[in-house]
Amino acid sequence: MTAPNYLRLERRDSPAPPAPPAVSDFVIETDGLDLCYGRKKALDRLSLRIPRGRIHAIVGANGAGKSSLFRILLGVQSPNTGRATILGHDCTALTERERARIGFVNEEHSLPSWLRVDELVAMQRRLYPNWDERRFRRIVDHFHVLPEQRIAGLSRGERAGVNLAMALAQQPELLILDEPTLGLDVVAKRAFLEVVLDSVDDGGTTIIYCSHQMDEIERLADNLIILERGRLVHMSPPDEFCERVSAWVAEFAFTRPEPGLLPGVLQVQQIDGLTHYLVLDQDERFSALLQARGARRHHRGEVNLDRAVNAFLSRNHATPAPDAPLP
Amino acid sequence: MSKTVPLFLSVSPGDPRSIVRQITDGIRLSIASGQLPVGAQLPSVRGLALQLTVNPKTVAKAYGELANDGWLDARQGLGLFVAAPRQRLSSSELERRLSLALEAFSAEVIGLDYPLEHILDRIRADLAPLLDKRSA
Repeated sequence: MTAPNYLRLERRDSPAPPAPPAVSDFVIETDGLDLCYGRKKALDRLSLRIPRGRIHAIVGANGAGKSSLFRILLGVQSPNTGRATILGHDCTALTERERARIGFVNEEHSLPSWLRVDELVAMQRRLYPNWDERRFRRIVDHFHVLPEQRIAGLSRGERAGVNLAMALAQQPELLILDEPTLGLDVVAKRAFLEVVLDSVDDGGTTIIYCSHQMDEIERLADNLIILERGRLVHMSPPDEFCERVSAWVAEFAFTRPEPGLLPGVLQVQQIDGLTHYLVLDQDERFSALLQARGARRHHRGEVNLDRAVNAFLSRNHATPAPDAPLP
Repeated sequence: MSKTVPLFLSVSPGDPRSIVRQITDGIRLSIASGQLPVGAQLPSVRGLALQLTVNPKTVAKAYGELANDGWLDARQGLGLFVAAPRQRLSSSELERRLSLALEAFSAEVIGLDYPLEHILDRIRADLAPLLDKRSA
């Protein structure tokens, strides 16, 4: 397998990126953000600080507050209480100059269909003082899009590529990607992830990546941020989160214990006479507890990010499985 | 002039293991089967990250674990190389890992209800070719 062409060119040809101005060590800082829609709390005293640099993934169930957070960060919505800054500026008073330092791509990938790619770019270029035409060309080329192509004739994946190229050609200090790979085929998705991974090394851009696709997040993210019901519930490198969750398989001599008798249980499943547990923040002492509850044999395993996050987010509506008699 | 041996690894979204574990397992298997001979140079962290489309930190972590366990040798400024077998693990550590692996294996297999002889035959058939290559 060879590296994509533009990835190689990038490092040799492009001049060193300008050092980001030392405004703040955090690209995003929120303090006690509250946002209500009627009686529903979208954000609940959300305090979050995202450091400059690298890829930060934001994860949460639908309605966890991701979209509300983005609307506040981009100045589209004002919070009921609390404050938020982006690149050191108050989100409620962003000027055009500050907005030009922030890129945003969501899953719509809508572009004016009557234009050609180069015509669209000619319009965009004028709006952004730091526009990097060569970077734009390299990225669209990575998606096999030609400048003279009509946008109406592009596939969804190709439009995603053009959107990403436009966002990165602005050389933004911060790029927010909101479910950007939704509905892309595997080839376009791969190309998209390659460009995202590469752009962090390349231009000093901080990326905030919001997705429900845990396999993408496991590949990309340096930092995992989990929101739940409008609050920050976890922030660490993804593998540290995986280490919080462990899988246990136990075989009980008679009946398995009520879930409430074991600490940290996120999920219980009964499979082929064995009881499978996913547990949070338990060490080897869990082993002793299983034995004390009558486990004849048991074994501990690791979990990947997908399982860990899924079990974690479903923990509050985990109904205790019906206690079926063991075969 | 590059002594780097290409690694045929893949990272699969459906795999229950973490990406770090998929990489370390894949490399250990390549070493154990002789596909990566002693002294072979591993791809750079950046190179393997590009090949697999994963964060370079993930590759660095996998390489770090393999080096810690004695599978790989870091030579200052030159890169990572497959280590000679004897450097790998202390005998008590080897024994501990064998126990862990057996425990995991037993927990999986116990529910399958195969007679012991059948299980042993299968282990022999699967492991013998790998062990042969290593001693060759």
